[in-house]
Amino acid sequence: MNGVVGKMFGWFNNRLPVANTFERHLSKHPVPSKVNFWYLFGALAAVVLIIQIISGIWLIMPYSNTEEQAFSSIEYIMRDVDYGWVIRYIHTTGASMFFAVVYLHMFRGLLYGSYQKPKELVWVFGCAIYLAMMAEGFLGYVLPYGQMSYWGAQVIISLFGAIPYIGESLEIWVRGDYYISGITVSRFFALHVVALPLVLIALVFLHLIALHEVGAGNPEGVDIEKYLDEDGVPLDSVPFFPYKVLNALVGIGVFMTVFAIIMFFFPEGGGYFIEMANFEEANPLVTPEHIAPVWYYSPYYAMLRAVPDKLGGLIIMGSAVAILFVVPWLDNSKAASIRYKGVYSKVALALFGISFLTLGYLGTVGVTEVRKTMSIICTFIYFAFFILMPIYTKFEKTKKVPERL
Amino acid sequence: MTTKQKVIKINKSVKFLLLFTLLFGINNLLSAEGGPCKDYGDCDKFKYSLNDMESLQSGASTFLNYCYGCHSLQYSRWGRIAKDLQIPEDIFFENLVFDKSIKAGDLMTGAMPKDESAQWFGVAPPDLTLVSRVRGDDWLYSYLRTYYEDSSKQYGVNNLVYPGTAMPNVLAALQGNQKLICKNIPIIAKNGGEKRDSEGNALTKEKCGFLQVEEGTGSLNKEDFDKVIYDLTNFLVYVGEPSKASRERIGWYVIFYFLIFTALSALLYREYHKDYH
Ligand code: HEC
Ligand code: HEM
Repeated sequence: MNGVVGKMFGWFNNRLPVANTFERHLSKHPVPSKVNFWYLFGALAAVVLIIQIISGIWLIMPYSNTEEQAFSSIEYIMRDVDYGWVIRYIHTTGASMFFAVVYLHMFRGLLYGSYQKPKELVWVFGCAIYLAMMAEGFLGYVLPYGQMSYWGAQVIISLFGAIPYIGESLEIWVRGDYYISGITVSRFFALHVVALPLVLIALVFLHLIALHEVGAGNPEGVDIEKYLDEDGVPLDSVPFFPYKVLNALVGIGVFMTVFAIIMFFFPEGGGYFIEMANFEEANPLVTPEHIAPVWYYSPYYAMLRAVPDKLGGLIIMGSAVAILFVVPWLDNSKAASIRYKGVYSKVALALFGISFLTLGYLGTVGVTEVRKTMSIICTFIYFAFFILMPIYTKFEKTKKVPERL
Repeated sequence: MTTKQKVIKINKSVKFLLLFTLLFGINNLLSAEGGPCKDYGDCDKFKYSLNDMESLQSGASTFLNYCYGCHSLQYSRWGRIAKDLQIPEDIFFENLVFDKSIKAGDLMTGAMPKDESAQWFGVAPPDLTLVSRVRGDDWLYSYLRTYYEDSSKQYGVNNLVYPGTAMPNVLAALQGNQKLICKNIPIIAKNGGEKRDSEGNALTKEKCGFLQVEEGTGSLNKEDFDKVIYDLTNFLVYVGEPSKASRERIGWYVIFYFLIFTALSALLYREYHKDYH
């Protein structure tokens, strides 16, 4: 490279590892040559993260974080701000799509044992991301200060009160008031727009750095590092740029089409993405008939309600998320991918999937005796899947994993 | 694809189908909640038509004449409605806005002080800007058509969709006196046909709870009244989300754009992979 541009590039490259980074993480970064659509959701999650950050910045400008104006400022955005409705629907649809994509991304991990050695840390950072996302979503949902914002937050924050000794003071400390009020809204605003996005970005960065250090997996669970060419590049790999980027681009196109269909034609998602009761301003005197969380929390809400005791419910809910972190150390299988694991693992994963979806459904509807029993059964299956994993992965017969992809 | 792979594929779709049937089966088994339209049962279906300016204009006119006295539209602005419904501003302000001090950019905050009205009705008439989004279009369309005479109530009327509502039937002059009546209806046999006695006469049983308007008591017939309510509901759907019509219009362009984007990147992807192997 020569000329002015080349000189400028050289100047920068001597002071900043530009070319090096580009080669290491993009143009020469080897990725498995054969992966399937399950491997697209990480890229899609990154796309949604960017969408949320950009649309969020635009929403902050007209939004008002006071008790009197929070709700009406949202209507102001929907009506008086030019294309304000576009920005808001991008952000609300994005929130749901973020969780949809990340749930699929996590399920991929379980399906192909992506958490197995040496990718344990990638998985653990992923779980931390998921935890941060749950907090981020909850905080954001309070901001429009509708009825469901208020009463949903009421239910969740009051859970802190179930902790022995410190519970009550903790509850007030979190709310900043004896009831949910403008004080709660404004501190949740600060956390939602500054603190948690910073945490999320940092975690995603660590997630990707860790992944690039150990190399990405594949649906066969084949270790591609075993067969290298004379330059030390795995034979069963392609450079990330442009091959995987182009592949991701197709996925992004399909994903954005789905995004647009939802955003422009079903922004409320039938009451699951934006709940109908949230079109009514928060009213501390009127409890809604039916308090339900948005769909992406509903499995945990169903678990919470399955336990009669508040503290017990809190512990179950917390454990359900916490147990995800240790999955890499629960799986004793020699095979990573479900394709080569034994029949116990297959049955266990299928049952787990069904009970998680069923819990998700149960968390959105009212409680009856039958439903409560079902929630209890599904909660049991959820935990059994993890707790019994060391046993069923050890004693089942696995198929032989091929040498090459 | 080998036969074995195909079998696996089919196996997978069967599993998915089973899963879905299971979930939906559970859903039906467990859904025991009453309908949203209470005593009326299932709500009547409502399909909005936000590009029908005549309907929206008629709805706006009904609202401002019959409802705005009690209900505000506090997030909506006068001028926006005139503009969106394509009513020239001078005609709009001349004919539909009764308070002459109002300007186009003002919010429609209502004509009645809130605490005063709460004294009159027990509850303050709620703001209706977002009612179509809180209650749903079907609920609204049904609610406004299911008042009936009930002397036990304060205003002599009750409502099937919202039993015990504190709102009087403000459109009674148009609709007429609607009553709950009982009817003899044919008994349906298990095979789906009407049950008959040995002489072939249809067997009937009495069933109550049907709505019927007393002939000649209202200024509109049923069809015209339903149309008035259709337009009114249509207007409230519009007010609930004024950009809904443009949203659905723009949506097609955006989807089209992303389809092209997908197609182009798929072509590019194929092109690159041809070189590599
Ligand atoms: C005389 C005053 C008055 C007038 C005029 C009036 N309403 Fe009402 N309306 C009320 C009151 C009071 C309530 C509260 C009823 C309750 O909650 O029990 C109400 C409630 C409602 C509700 C239910 C809102 C909810 O979510 O609970 C709707 C919808 C409604 N009115 C529509 C209309 C429409 C449409 C018109 C015009 C045709 C109208 N109202 C005219 C007094 C009025
Ligand atoms: C903001 C959220 C997230 C982003 C942006 C993100 C991004 C990515 C990307 C780009 C990849 C590589 C491509 C792929 O394999 O799909 C990846 C891989 C991975 N992610 Fe995530 N991720 C997120 C959340 C999570 C969560 C919540 C988990 C699990 C709890 C997780 C677990 C993993 C694992 C195990 C891999 C390695 C897969 C493999 O190489 O086999 N990620 N992530």
